[in-house]
Amino acid sequence: MKFKADEIASVIQKEIEDFKGQIETAEVGRVVEVGDGIARAVGLSSAMAGEMVEFSNGTNGLCFNMEENSVGIIILGDYLNIQEGDEIKTTGQLLSVPVGEAMIGRVIDPLGNPLDGKGPIVTSERRPVETPAPGVADRQPVKEPLQTGIKAVDAMTPIGRGQRELIIGDRKTGKTAVALDTIINQKGGDVICIYVACGQRSASVAQVVEALEANGAMDYSIVISATASDPAPLQYIAPYAGAAIAEYFMYQGKHTLCVYDDLTKQAQAYRQLSLLMRRPPGREAYPGDVFYCHSRLLERAAKLNAELGGGSMTALPIIETLEGEVSAYIPTNVISITDGQIYLEPDLFFAGVRPAINVGISVSRVGGNAQTKAMKKVAGSLRLDLAAFRELEAFAQLGTELDAATQRQLDRGYRMVELLKQPQYEPLHFADQVISIYAGTKGYFDTVPVNQVARAEKEMLQFMADEKSEVRNAIIESKELSSETEDALKAALAEFRDRFKAEATGGLVGETAETA
Amino acid sequence: MSETEPKTRPSHVLEDPSANVVARVYANAFLNAAGEAGQAEALEEFTSFVDDVLRPNPEFARLLTTEVTGREEKLGLIDRVVAPTGSERFTNFLRVLARHERLELLPLILGETWLEHEKRAGRQRVIVRTAAALDEKRLDGIRERLAAALPFEPILIPEVDETLVGGLVVQIGDTVHDGSLRTRIRDLKDRLRERYLNEIQSGRDRFSHPEGN
Repeated sequence: MKFKADEIASVIQKEIEDFKGQIETAEVGRVVEVGDGIARAVGLSSAMAGEMVEFSNGTNGLCFNMEENSVGIIILGDYLNIQEGDEIKTTGQLLSVPVGEAMIGRVIDPLGNPLDGKGPIVTSERRPVETPAPGVADRQPVKEPLQTGIKAVDAMTPIGRGQRELIIGDRKTGKTAVALDTIINQKGGDVICIYVACGQRSASVAQVVEALEANGAMDYSIVISATASDPAPLQYIAPYAGAAIAEYFMYQGKHTLCVYDDLTKQAQAYRQLSLLMRRPPGREAYPGDVFYCHSRLLERAAKLNAELGGGSMTALPIIETLEGEVSAYIPTNVISITDGQIYLEPDLFFAGVRPAINVGISVSRVGGNAQTKAMKKVAGSLRLDLAAFRELEAFAQLGTELDAATQRQLDRGYRMVELLKQPQYEPLHFADQVISIYAGTKGYFDTVPVNQVARAEKEMLQFMADEKSEVRNAIIESKELSSETEDALKAALAEFRDRFKAEATGGLVGETAETA
Repeated sequence: MSETEPKTRPSHVLEDPSANVVARVYANAFLNAAGEAGQAEALEEFTSFVDDVLRPNPEFARLLTTEVTGREEKLGLIDRVVAPTGSERFTNFLRVLARHERLELLPLILGETWLEHEKRAGRQRVIVRTAAALDEKRLDGIRERLAAALPFEPILIPEVDETLVGGLVVQIGDTVHDGSLRTRIRDLKDRLRERYLNEIQSGRDRFSHPEGN
């Protein structure tokens, strides 16, 4: 259990013997101005845009603005130790991050340095932070599903591998929760998850890491953290670093999921840098190329064709709106780049509908192709039914006398809304989702009181798993709902309904007695 | 002003890079106006004006550069002070500067003029940084070696920087060729640390208990 000192000494000795000092040639310049995360330098006559430079105290920077007589540099690190007059050296390299299997399970900063105190990350490979997105010929259509484990999402706004699905909503509406549930649901699967925290509170990031660890999700996840206290340049490059790490796995034919939490803060960091660099401000003072800043990032999400290994990168960017204002600059930009959005509403959230997904305006433009046949079959009319229910509900609030059919539709709607509620960190298997939604839409919960739907669902799923596992397994294996399976499912649900009814009545009588 | 001494104004942290570019334009124009034959003479006059007139008489220099003095007054000043003794070309040059309100760039322009003049004569400044001062013989040796390797005649500007520990750093324009001991030691340190960490990390399984803790 001891280090063998002589072994290490011999390694050092060999290294010294083999060491050949070479003359180092570099372009140099001098800092003439340094400010919040940026510096301006003269000299560096052959520096390239995007090239890494090194300050005399060892901090790295990135050439950002190439002006006629000076170079604008964003400082990736501690800028307080850099002074006017300091020497800057070019490195001839582009900004890159370490990539590889060793990154999995780690919490890192956007430059790839570990933050979790688990020792250095030993990996020999690096990848440039900015790389061009795969071209048209390198891709194939999104066909494979990426199960989020959230009923409302998988049923109505399904996400496919290689898709970019925006999660948008006001603060505190559960945006991160949707993304985290998706990561947790990949447990035991083949998807490597990357969570990029950009401009978040350090406490929130710590909570996320803790949640992932508690649910065993860190075994296949990487967390990149650029918190609100990190300098703007780090917040700006964090999503690109996450994309680079995911790309490494994607080009190996693996499947990845990248959560960018959140791109509003990244746009703000980019705005700060651009304004300090004196780039002209445009709408909401964002620079003109803020669209490109997001589009080039999200275009890197792809489903590669078979020749390239068929790997995929699914992106879940998150955007925070102010007072539900989706027509602000950054939200509209990102909505137009992504393949759909999950819209979370504070009203629903506070009404207890969690996840607070507004199914009316949430869409998935490509995910439909990726849905399993079974889910497609059961969820086909769900969105329309729910939309019709919302209208009826508004109407019913007027206190009008309703006919029996309308009342039935309303009752079904209340139960469906109840059924789509789901606690955090409890993603459901797709077969369970199919069974639940089938039972809901076919009216098997119609006799259950609304406030007991959640319990009924839980017991029903337990019943299906324990006593009717053959039906559940048939759905899992075939991924579709054949007529035989459907018949078996109907029989099983009817059996459960009868059993639950008896228990529920007993329970209800007791409750009524107590309350009375 | 000696040849090896840098003629640009003392490098100031607030140096304006665009002022340098403007100065370069005037420097080029001044040399072109002097023609190929008259360059050395014109430059001598310019240097002498800065060294012998402006430097011993800071009040006069201030009068020429301050914004309080109007353009016409500056022109009058040049006519009365410089025109009787200076050449017509140099006086005209000062008048142009006064008219464009660029007189405060005069020392900067002089520095750029020297650099441009040297460049036209096929010479360029090379800063040679060492840990200890070099004697003439050593410098001559370095000059010869550099002249053989470079496409121009080097003008050596020796500088002493004790933190280099040993070796030589040669800077030509913005390009630095660093052969100092300091850089090599830092290089070695980085490589050793990397090897060391790799060795520990790769050997971690070997050192850890096979059945866990």
